[in-house]
Amino acid sequence: MSKKLLIIDDDPDFVSGIKSILDAGGYEVDVAYNPKDGLRALQAKKYDLLLLDIMMGRGAEGIMIARKMRKDAKLREIPVLIITGMREQIAFLFPGEPVHPRFVDVDEMVEKPVEPKLLLDKVQSLIQAAEAKKAEK
Amino acid sequence: MENKAKILIIDDEEVVLDSCAQILKGAPYQLATASDGTSGLTLLQEFRPDLVFVDLKMPGISGFEVLEKIGEIDPTIVIVVITGFATVSSAVEAMKKGAYDFLPKPFTPDEFRLIARRGIERRKLMLEAIALRKERDLLREQFASIVSHELKAPLSAIQQNIFALEFELEKRLGPEQKEKFERIKARLTDLLKMINSWLRVIAVDIDRLKEGFVPLSIAEPIANAIESLDTLAARKNIKIVSEVGQDLPAVLGDKVSLAEVFVNIIGNALKYSPDGSNVRVTARQEEQTIAISIEDSGIGIAEEDLPHIFDGFYRGKGGQTVAGGHGIGLAVARQIVEAHNGSIEVESEVGTGTTFTVRLPIHQS
Ligand SMILES: Nc1ncnc2c1ncn2[C@@H]1O[C@H](COP(=O)(O)OP(=O)(O)OP(=O)(O)O)[C@@H](O)[C@H]1O
Ligand SMILES: [Mg+2]
Repeated sequence: MSKKLLIIDDDPDFVSGIKSILDAGGYEVDVAYNPKDGLRALQAKKYDLLLLDIMMGRGAEGIMIARKMRKDAKLREIPVLIITGMREQIAFLFPGEPVHPRFVDVDEMVEKPVEPKLLLDKVQSLIQAAEAKKAEK
Repeated sequence: MENKAKILIIDDEEVVLDSCAQILKGAPYQLATASDGTSGLTLLQEFRPDLVFVDLKMPGISGFEVLEKIGEIDPTIVIVVITGFATVSSAVEAMKKGAYDFLPKPFTPDEFRLIARRGIERRKLMLEAIALRKERDLLREQFASIVSHELKAPLSAIQQNIFALEFELEKRLGPEQKEKFERIKARLTDLLKMINSWLRVIAVDIDRLKEGFVPLSIAEPIANAIESLDTLAARKNIKIVSEVGQDLPAVLGDKVSLAEVFVNIIGNALKYSPDGSNVRVTARQEEQTIAISIEDSGIGIAEEDLPHIFDGFYRGKGGQTVAGGHGIGLAVARQIVEAHNGSIEVESEVGTGTTFTVRLPIHQS
């Protein structure tokens, strides 16, 4: 059975550019174009991985989702690939924290735009890492 | 808020207060009066005038004292001093202390009206200038996020779709078509990189940086910088020799941005040096500073380039021929070092090598 992915990103053009790569990679991909729909989708269906644009909107609304996930025991288990337009701003939003914020059990960060091979590699390795972690428990 | 301009008059002579009130009757001003400095200052706090007339010679606290206190309360309040003819010299003194103008006694209604009007005008201009400056600062702060969204987002979307298109068409593309994809991707990548480095220069917020200063050992950011340049050094087979005293006194600063300074300078040393050479990094105490030198035996910098290399977007002639870049590294380094109350110096000879020296003041605990 193919793995289910959710993309939360407010830029439809950017989404089309990663969705087709993931489609071709054999994943089943859903998309939410705003944080609200995204959160609703996360609660309604079981996903194997979330691709999250953290700088969505002016106020970095993606962070809100990441924070909610961190507090929710069930959602915490979903691996997250954080996609960002600006590395520096992430550091700025979390002063004192390393550039890579650990929101959930398994997460990693890539910068927009993402090369197809890198994207598929990251998605695969994050899903594997999350499964391994679950098996440990 | 009322839009009528507010005038406060502080004078111990009843007749002066009365005649001023009389003159301004019907004019678009809101008037308040006080007959001595102390009650004038109390009134000022709640009345918040745009313009204050103050008599220099009053019983109780002097006009000069009132002048000084108003400056402390709100330096944008415009002050005009009222003086007798015999005391023009003290009017000059008052203007040196921040008064905007003086009104010699006795004065005609026209003189008083004119000076009042000019004083109010002055206050308006001051407030406008302040508002403008605030707006500009805000714009600069927001510039980074505006640029990142309005410029970078569309470029990222374009690049992402080109990635996807090439990925989907991979098996169907001929070599010439593949080359076109490579060209498009390379140019877009350059553009994105350029925007990133512009953002670095514009968005370094020095004040915010200073808020996070802590005492630290200079060895740390140097080690971090060298570590992050490992691969580059290995690729060029360059050895970075580091001699940093372990028990040097601390400096006050921000570790991450200081590491960035050394990454930029040591990175240049690697970039502009031949394969197989050495780069020396030393740190030592010099009087009340820590001096960090980065010495290379690379291409050197021409004399005519030396005065400009710390400017944003400037690239030296020698530099341009051996490697790519945006001319940003040293401009950012200088900004950061200056925020630390330090200095950067360079000595260089074409064909022999270059030494950069960063000096940072020792932290006085
Ligand atoms: N160690 C060095 N040896 C020779 N030339 C140097 C050295 N360091 C700096 N330069 C000269 O000073 C110029 C400005 O340096 P700077 O680091 O600001 O920009 P850059 O290296 O050209 O680009 P980038 O923004 O990518 O760092 C360079 O273009 C180069 O000509
Ligand atoms: Mg450089």
